Amino acid sequence: MIAQADRTTLAEQQRRGRFRKWSLPSRDVLLLLGPAVLYLIAFSVFPLLYSLRISFTDQGAAQDAAQWIGLENYARLLSDPFFWNAATNTAAMVGAAVTIQVVLGTALAVFFNLNLRGSWLVRGILILPMLLTPIVVGVMWRALFNPDWGIINWALEEVGLDAPNWLGSTEWAIRTLILVDVWQWTPFVFLIVFARLQALSVEVFEAAQVDGAGAIAMIRRITLPLLWPAIAFAAIFRAIDAFRSFDLVYGLSYGGPARSTTTLSFLAFQNGFQFQNYGYAAATAYVMVIILMVATTVLLRYVRLRGADAA
Amino acid sequence: MRRLAGRVLAYVLLVVVAVIGFAPFVYLLIISTKRRIDIVAEVPPSLNFNVDQIVRNYSEVINSQGMLSFTGNSIIVVGISTLVALIIGVPAAYAFSRLRFRGRDAWASTVLSFRFMPPVAVAIPIFLMIRSIGFSNSYPGLIIPYVAFTLPLVIWIMIGFFDEVPRDIDDAALVDGCGRVEVLWRVLLPIVGSGIIVSAIFGAIFIWNEFLVALYIINSRSLQTVTLGAATLVSAQRPIDWNIAAAVGIVTLIPIFLFSLFIQRYVVRGITAGAVR
Repeated sequence: MIAQADRTTLAEQQRRGRFRKWSLPSRDVLLLLGPAVLYLIAFSVFPLLYSLRISFTDQGAAQDAAQWIGLENYARLLSDPFFWNAATNTAAMVGAAVTIQVVLGTALAVFFNLNLRGSWLVRGILILPMLLTPIVVGVMWRALFNPDWGIINWALEEVGLDAPNWLGSTEWAIRTLILVDVWQWTPFVFLIVFARLQALSVEVFEAAQVDGAGAIAMIRRITLPLLWPAIAFAAIFRAIDAFRSFDLVYGLSYGGPARSTTTLSFLAFQNGFQFQNYGYAAATAYVMVIILMVATTVLLRYVRLRGADAA
Repeated sequence: MRRLAGRVLAYVLLVVVAVIGFAPFVYLLIISTKRRIDIVAEVPPSLNFNVDQIVRNYSEVINSQGMLSFTGNSIIVVGISTLVALIIGVPAAYAFSRLRFRGRDAWASTVLSFRFMPPVAVAIPIFLMIRSIGFSNSYPGLIIPYVAFTLPLVIWIMIGFFDEVPRDIDDAALVDGCGRVEVLWRVLLPIVGSGIIVSAIFGAIFIWNEFLVALYIINSRSLQTVTLGAATLVSAQRPIDWNIAAAVGIVTLIPIFLFSLFIQRYVVRGITAGAVR
């Protein structure tokens, strides 16, 4: 009798402990969160896993012919000069574009912090490029850079400079792509850094001024260190987005000339959409997914750290 | 004197920044009003505008190039996708903001991380899935993936807005005997109305701009969205009628210009999907 009672208690305790650990979330959580989670599992998680599966096959546009070929697509990637070309282009673009954006964006933030009259209007203008359809941004800049009648070449000639072959030479096309990305996304870095700058207390700067610090010294010793978290966040964020760039490449240069602006995204698109080689395209894209997962983890940890900082 | 010179220089710099930011649109707009031959002949383009020519360019874009039907398709797809994403996403954001449950932060990060996945990685599987359920080349074929793309955006923007509402408001309603769902519907939705508008606008712009998945799913011209239609019209592969291309660009950008007026304050929050607060 007593033993049995003990056992019940034990079982009860175990059950409770287990129950707490493995219990279904409450009804409210299921009701509120369930639809979104199910939807994302079906149409975001599943496609990502499906993509992984495809990358191990020779699947093409004809659906039934797919055969499991293991890591063959990945092995082929490693010896594919086009892949290394795209990887190099992507790295060059991410490195150069993000560096320039961080420098210019931070400089702009410091400049706008002077709070000149009318600067709110210019801030409003700078918000626009980020929202624009990347395809149209590409077309717009192709007009601006047109070698025959584009206004940029005209302006350069007016001041006596030789215009480079913006989109026509392999040497310049990638620089032009970087330039357009800088035009579109410098405002992003600027806005994030500017928001942080405006939130800093004025007293720090006043104290430094009293101590006789010059303008340059103040920026180097006080402003930049305080802005560092915001700058790093903006840089990682931009790096992730630049790494994925596709639409802008499609609209501006279509990966050319001679593959000089083919990014990894564009290569995956060509292998998949143009050459209908889904397996190989999925392998190309999955290399990107893995790199992005690492970068995103770093970024999200950073976001949480920032939250902890603030609290 | 040095101070004055500094101020003048600062304002000159401000104007330069404004011009770099805005002049490209003005140039596109000017090009879109010209005859094809004038674009090549007048460098820089003259500022004499011919109303007949403007009407001719834009009516060609709208009527014979099909921009009107593209716009109709986009409005349907953008409207339904955004609405569904809000209906599913707003309650989820509320749950992330208010309820305590195991693994909450991990789930929230996972949802946000979908925003960073490359579209090329999911375009093919989504195309195959949509084809196998018989929705390729149709509105649902676009709406289904677009809701999935917009959900993380909506959820993250809305978490930010819910977090700004004091919990006391929920608690008071809960004490009064409302369920969680009722609290959200009756009490909180009216308070976070501006957040819903902001996330709707960002979701809508994102879908309006989307290109790659539409390229896979849609293969008949009559179902193309604005961005897909614009991309086909001005495809980088073939020679272009630049006045028409520019007009297509302007028509594509008009809704974004209008929307951007409403979301100035929230632009960083929208683009980072709420990651910086």
